[in-house]
Amino acid sequence: MRVLSLLAVLPAFLAVGCAHGPSPVSSPSPTPSFHAPVALVAYDPGQTPPHFPELVVKSESGSDPQRGDPSDEAEAAEEGMVTIADPLEPFNRAMFQFNDKMYFWVLKPVARGYNKVVPEAARVGVDNFFSNLRFPVRFVNCLLQVDIGCAGRELGRFVVNTVWGVGGLLDPASSKDLDIPKGNTDLDQTLGVYGLGPGFYIVWPVLGPSSARDTTRIVGDFFLYPVSYIRPWYDWLAVRAYEEVNETSLRIGEYESLKEAAIDPYVALRDAFAQYRQKKVEAAKGKPAPTQPQGVGPGEAGPPAPWR
Amino acid sequence: MKKLNLIFISAAILFLCKGSAAAGGLWGPPQSVSREAGGLHTGIGYGYDQDKYKNDTEHVIRQNQVYSHLGYGARTWEIYGRLGVSELKISDAFRSSQSSTTTSKNDFKDQWSLFGTLGAKGFYPFHKNFGMGAFVQGTYFFSDFSDQVSGTQNGAPFSAELKVKNFWDVNFGLGFQATIPNDIKMYLGPYLYYSEAKTSPSAKISGIESTARDMTLKNKAIGGGFAGVDVPIAKGFHLNVEGKYSEMFSVGAAITFSY
Repeated sequence: MRVLSLLAVLPAFLAVGCAHGPSPVSSPSPTPSFHAPVALVAYDPGQTPPHFPELVVKSESGSDPQRGDPSDEAEAAEEGMVTIADPLEPFNRAMFQFNDKMYFWVLKPVARGYNKVVPEAARVGVDNFFSNLRFPVRFVNCLLQVDIGCAGRELGRFVVNTVWGVGGLLDPASSKDLDIPKGNTDLDQTLGVYGLGPGFYIVWPVLGPSSARDTTRIVGDFFLYPVSYIRPWYDWLAVRAYEEVNETSLRIGEYESLKEAAIDPYVALRDAFAQYRQKKVEAAKGKPAPTQPQGVGPGEAGPPAPWR
Repeated sequence: MKKLNLIFISAAILFLCKGSAAAGGLWGPPQSVSREAGGLHTGIGYGYDQDKYKNDTEHVIRQNQVYSHLGYGARTWEIYGRLGVSELKISDAFRSSQSSTTTSKNDFKDQWSLFGTLGAKGFYPFHKNFGMGAFVQGTYFFSDFSDQVSGTQNGAPFSAELKVKNFWDVNFGLGFQATIPNDIKMYLGPYLYYSEAKTSPSAKISGIESTARDMTLKNKAIGGGFAGVDVPIAKGFHLNVEGKYSEMFSVGAAITFSY
């Protein structure tokens, strides 16, 4: 019986790790979300998508795999491109392939089936519900950034959506009348605000693209997300799997679009990740993106980390 | 003008009729608080309900209720559902009528039990600022209430449990509404209702009537009157305060949000 249970939750487990970020769905968000199911790159539909080709990456070999021309690197540096070190590129590429297969072979078919059965309004409601449950993650990080306005907005959203949004299924806080924007503050952003660089790029199996700094976010989010405390563990896994399947069902096609558009999807994903995280930190700092020297992480040589 | 006077006099007469309070939250204004073109509205509410129920003897029942409300409506109609919790207190449920039986307490009291409510409204505006409507609302308590009593009977100790099961009610009412400046809606009207609950004791204790056998408690009266006011606060929020009178007075308040 236990073996059966394990078999039943295996796809769930694989799906659970296929993303690591909240993703607003019900309404256009003022801040983009980087949702990466099984090494997917996705951006908030309401936002301008990342410009993948403009990014510069310092790979293991020290050259840009997309450009290959040193003059392009200098040009990119002048244009204020985002970079991230990738010393583990062979490992990361292997994990990227693994996650890619997991997406196409497991997560996407399940999400498509779910998509057919459950109407979109219900799926958006479920997404709102889980997003509302992530309130502690956002609220604590607003406080860690000493951003009282952000903390107030998060608290306001949580109260309004919980009380008048039927436990978070609806999102009245985003309505035209209230207009409390949905945030996506997290620990990676907080550490970036305090000047910690992203470190090296790493693609975690199942969890998707990340960085040394972003990995702390995955851990931090786990402890601040109430769902993590569901026991026994297979109930937690089932809930997380359902959350990911639901979220993926609202984003089917985004990863495919990226793959089609990119010469090297691995590089495109890596660059999108780096740029997204960099922009998020800069948004928290309230400053425009600074020009970084090539090969230096955004926080490493950036200005001192102020708080708003 | 004569027509309006007639309406208000009729409403006042009906309002003064003896009746019985009901559970399940406020009736609300006859006209939906949803946007006129149609839309959702949600809310939270609190109600303090009192009523007299009877079987062989009469008991005062009191309930504190909190609930969440979800409704969809337009200018002339509305449907809604509620989910809430309620406590229950039945006065003198364990009072002994014999001197040989003593009990540790007289009142039945239990904490939060889940209830669900469904309702619908129709509204007919016969003037820019006046209109009338009707509603029907039903409530069912999903879980039982229970309480234990202990004491002595002829010197021997005893302990018994009383359960209140299958508690439900159904309500029907008419409401007359006047909209005054600032879009404040005042309303009043009569209502009819029926409510019942089964009681089931774990042991028969002589002298305590509620433990004598399984019984059905029913509301003593069948109707009452209600009046309330709905005030737009800001940014789509409304405050609704309402009172009901039948055998006893009940009061409640809700804050709703219109999408």
